[in-house]
Amino acid sequence: MTSPSELDSLQRRVLGLAPEPAARLDSPYWISNEFYGALRHVLHDVGGQPDAPVAYVDKEEADWELRTYVLCEVLAWRGVWNSEMRRRAENDLGATLYFGLPYYARWITVAAKALVDKGLISVSELAAKIDDVRARKAAGS
Amino acid sequence: MRRFEIGDHVTVREATTLFHHRTQAYTRGHTGVVVEHRPEWLIPEDEAWQREDGRVEPFYVVRFRQRDLWPGYTGLDRDTLETEVAEGWLVPAEEGMQ
Repeated sequence: MTSPSELDSLQRRVLGLAPEPAARLDSPYWISNEFYGALRHVLHDVGGQPDAPVAYVDKEEADWELRTYVLCEVLAWRGVWNSEMRRRAENDLGATLYFGLPYYARWITVAAKALVDKGLISVSELAAKIDDVRARKAAGS
Repeated sequence: MRRFEIGDHVTVREATTLFHHRTQAYTRGHTGVVVEHRPEWLIPEDEAWQREDGRVEPFYVVRFRQRDLWPGYTGLDRDTLETEVAEGWLVPAEEGMQ
């Protein structure tokens, strides 16, 4: 049985071995102008930004991707938005979603968000519909 | 009324960008040559917010030399890159930048 004081000294020794923790990035008290410049870089402007190589995959559009494209065009035709508003909405998703989602998943995500933003559907209706579809899938129909 | 003709040397302004734009960071501050006139259109900075007073500007295809854009470019000297730029982002290239 290790005593609390032994645990404390053990923990201090381990902390001494651990690398210096990185500065927290969430809501710091101040940042440099240079860092601010990097933070406000607009996400879709990827040309020349540092990144790792990406494998080129030669693939056809899937049905859901083509339907997403047509849906976004129809939303423009019906006056909900235009293509530039769609691109801005994609930037507005933030870095995690922008770079984490597949290309047309970004489109369908911002299309849904535009409908919510415009008050055409509520976010609860959208979530309930997703749950319906998930339940239908789980039921195997 | 267009400000630049085909063959004019133009520099992309070093201006602050926020939230949304279509002027690639790697072109800003660099000088190229106008190779094509493109139609007038709402600039992306206004179209992206569907502004009723959105500014319409002529667009240009500007050709840059790759070695001017990328430090340590290892390709051929004659390699070029063309991209579309709204007139408001362009200024006449200064002497010696051509």
